[in-house]
Amino acid sequence: MTTLTRQDINFGQVVADILCEFLEVAIHLILYVREVYPSGIFQKRKKYNVPVQMSCHPELNQYIQDTLHCVKPLIEKNDAEKVVVVIMDKEHHPVERFVFEISQPPLLSIRESKGPLGGSDILLSHVEQLLRAFILKISVCDAILNNNPPGCSFTVLVHTRDVATRNMEKVQVIKDFPWIVADEQEVNMQEPKLIPLKTMTSDILKLWRAVILDRI
Amino acid sequence: MDELYLDNIDEYVNDHNKIVTYKWLSLTLGVHVNTAKQMLFHYLDHKRKESSAQLHATYLVSGKFVNNGQTCHKVSVIREEQLEDVKAKMSLIASVHVYSIQKALLKDSGPLYGVDYDAVRDNLKNCSRFSAIRCSSAVPMSSQELQQVKEIQRPPTSEPETKKSVSNIQTAVASKAIKPQKGIMGMFSNKTASKTQNSTKEIKTEEKDSPMVEAPKSKPALKPNSLMSMFENQTAKKTDKTVKEEAPPAAKAAPAAKPAAVQSSTSTSQPQNKLSHKEEKEEATVAKPQKESKSKSKRIQDSDSEEEKMEKKKRRRIKKPEPDSSDEEVIPDSPQKKETKEPSPSPEKQLESVTHSHQENPDKRVRKRRRVLKSKTFVDEEGCIVTEKAYESESYSESEEDFKAPKQAARDPFKGKLHSNGKDEKKSRQKASANTNKSTKQASITGFFQKK
Repeated sequence: MTTLTRQDINFGQVVADILCEFLEVAIHLILYVREVYPSGIFQKRKKYNVPVQMSCHPELNQYIQDTLHCVKPLIEKNDAEKVVVVIMDKEHHPVERFVFEISQPPLLSIRESKGPLGGSDILLSHVEQLLRAFILKISVCDAILNNNPPGCSFTVLVHTRDVATRNMEKVQVIKDFPWIVADEQEVNMQEPKLIPLKTMTSDILKLWRAVILDRI
Repeated sequence: MDELYLDNIDEYVNDHNKIVTYKWLSLTLGVHVNTAKQMLFHYLDHKRKESSAQLHATYLVSGKFVNNGQTCHKVSVIREEQLEDVKAKMSLIASVHVYSIQKALLKDSGPLYGVDYDAVRDNLKNCSRFSAIRCSSAVPMSSQELQQVKEIQRPPTSEPETKKSVSNIQTAVASKAIKPQKGIMGMFSNKTASKTQNSTKEIKTEEKDSPMVEAPKSKPALKPNSLMSMFENQTAKKTDKTVKEEAPPAAKAAPAAKPAAVQSSTSTSQPQNKLSHKEEKEEATVAKPQKESKSKSKRIQDSDSEEEKMEKKKRRRIKKPEPDSSDEEVIPDSPQKKETKEPSPSPEKQLESVTHSHQENPDKRVRKRRRVLKSKTFVDEEGCIVTEKAYESESYSESEEDFKAPKQAARDPFKGKLHSNGKDEKKSRQKASANTNKSTKQASITGFFQKK
C-alpha cells in the first residue's frame, strides 16, 4: 500500500481526465435528454461500454470541448467545486441546473501492484461502473422532470474555490475563450427545488449530482 | 411470493426510478426469466387498472415478417404505442412479452442495454442461470484449459499481414474470374435459393413453437436475409449463456455460437489465410478434450450460404478465449446435404444432423455457395411487372483463384458494415452492366469497328 498525494505527478491529471471525459459525455446526454437541441444532431456512441448519445454538431462540440478544456486545469488543482449545466428558457431564466459537485480526497490511497498506477485496473473499472450508473440516471431523469419550454439554451458554470477565478482570467487556456463571472440571474433561481440524482464515491473522486429546478 | 413482488417492482420503478427489464429483474430477484416476464406483465396490468402515474413499457415482439418478398424472423423491442402496429405487420407472431417498464419515456434503446449491462456483469459467471434456454453440454473451460488455449494462440501472429497483401492483389484477378460465371450460375441459383428458403421456413416454424425467444435486442436484427435472421434468433439464445450481452447481438451473437463451424470449413478447405487466427484457435481446440462440439455445431446445419457472414464475424471473437472447445476436426466422409435441411424436433436428431453437416464440410472445397444480390423481374398475380432485388445463394465451384473472391466479398461488408448493402448493390450493378455491355453493346461496337 502506497499513498500518493495530490502533488504526485499525473495523478491529478488522471482524475481530471476522467472527470472531464465524463462531463463531456454527461453534457451531451443532458442536451439530448432534455431536448435542448433537436435529436437529429445526436448520434449513438459507445462510452463506458454502453451506448450514449453525442452531438454531431461541430460548433456545439467545439464549445463543449473548449469549456472542458478550461475546466480541466481547475480540476487538476482541485480548484473546482462544482460544474453546473444550466438550462435556460428564452428569457435566459434558468429552468434547470444540473449540478456536478466534485470533491477529491486530499490523499489518494492506491493499492500497489504492477504498473505505475498500481491496482488501477480494478479501480478504473470500478469508477467506470459508477460513471455508467450516472449516465443511466441521466437518461431516465426526465421521468422526474417536466418538459422544458421550447427555445432553451444552456451554459456551463463553474464554481471555483478561493481565488482560482482570478488566475483563470489571467491565463486564458484557450485564446478568445474567456470566462466571465456569471450573472446573478443565471445563478439564482426563484423557487429552487432540489432533486438529488446520484452520488458516487470512489478512491479517487467523489461526485455528486443533482438537478435543481426552478418551477414558478 | 404472491403479491410481494409487485411492491418490489413498484419500488424499483417508482422510488428508484429505474428501468426494470425482465432480465435485470430475473437476475436481481433470482427468478426464472419467464417468471420475471410474468411479474412485469402483472405489475403493468395492475398499474394500468389503477391508472396511476404514468408508466412506460417496452415490449418484445418476435415473429415472421415479410420484407420485400423475403420472409424473415424478426425480433423487435418496441414502445407500447407501437405494439399493435408492429403486431399487425407480422405475418405470424411467435412471442410477445413485456421487455421493460420504466417511468421515463425512453428516447432510444441505449439505456435498455445500459441497465442490463451491469446486472449481467455482476453475474458474469452464471448470467444464464435463469435463462429459459439451456445447453447441458456447454461447459465452460477450466482456467487451465484457457491458459493452454492462450499459449497456443500466441506464437504464429506474423503470418496474417503478408498473406493479406497477397490476397489483396489477387482479388482483382479473382473477381474478374468470377463474373462470367454469373449467367450460368444464376440458373442454378434459383433452384438452390428456393431450396434454402424451404428449409429455413421449416426451421422457423419449429422455433416458433418454443414459447420464448430470448433475443436481447431487436433493431440490429432486421436484416434482409432470412437465413441470417434465423441464425440470430438461435444464437441470441446463446448470448444468454456466453459471457455478456453485447451491443449489437445480431453482429456478435452469431460468432459466439459458430466459430467452430467456420473453423472447420476454412481450415480444411483453405490453405490460404487471412484467417490464420482462427486456425490457431482450431489447433487449440484440437488439443482439447472434445466435449461440447455438439452444442455448438447445432447451428451449422444450413451454414453453406452463411459462410461469408460468419467469417467476417468471427474476427471479432479472436481475442476472447473460447469458452468451449469443439471437435471440429471433422471426419471427412461422404457428404450428405439433404439430411441437414430437415428440421429436427428432438435434440438427438439435431445432433445427428450436426454430424452430417460436419461431414459435408470437405465437400465445400469443391462446391460452395455464396450470396449474390440479384434482380428478378416477373409478373405477379395482379399482372404487374415486378422487379425485385434479393439475395440469393448460388453455388459455384471453387478453384484455386476464385475462392479468394468470395473472401474478398466477405471482407467488404466487414470493413464498412453500414455500407455493405450499398456496396453489394453497386457491385451487382456493375456486374450487371458489365454483362449487358458484353452481350449487347459490345457486339454492336465491334461490329462497328469491323466495318471499318
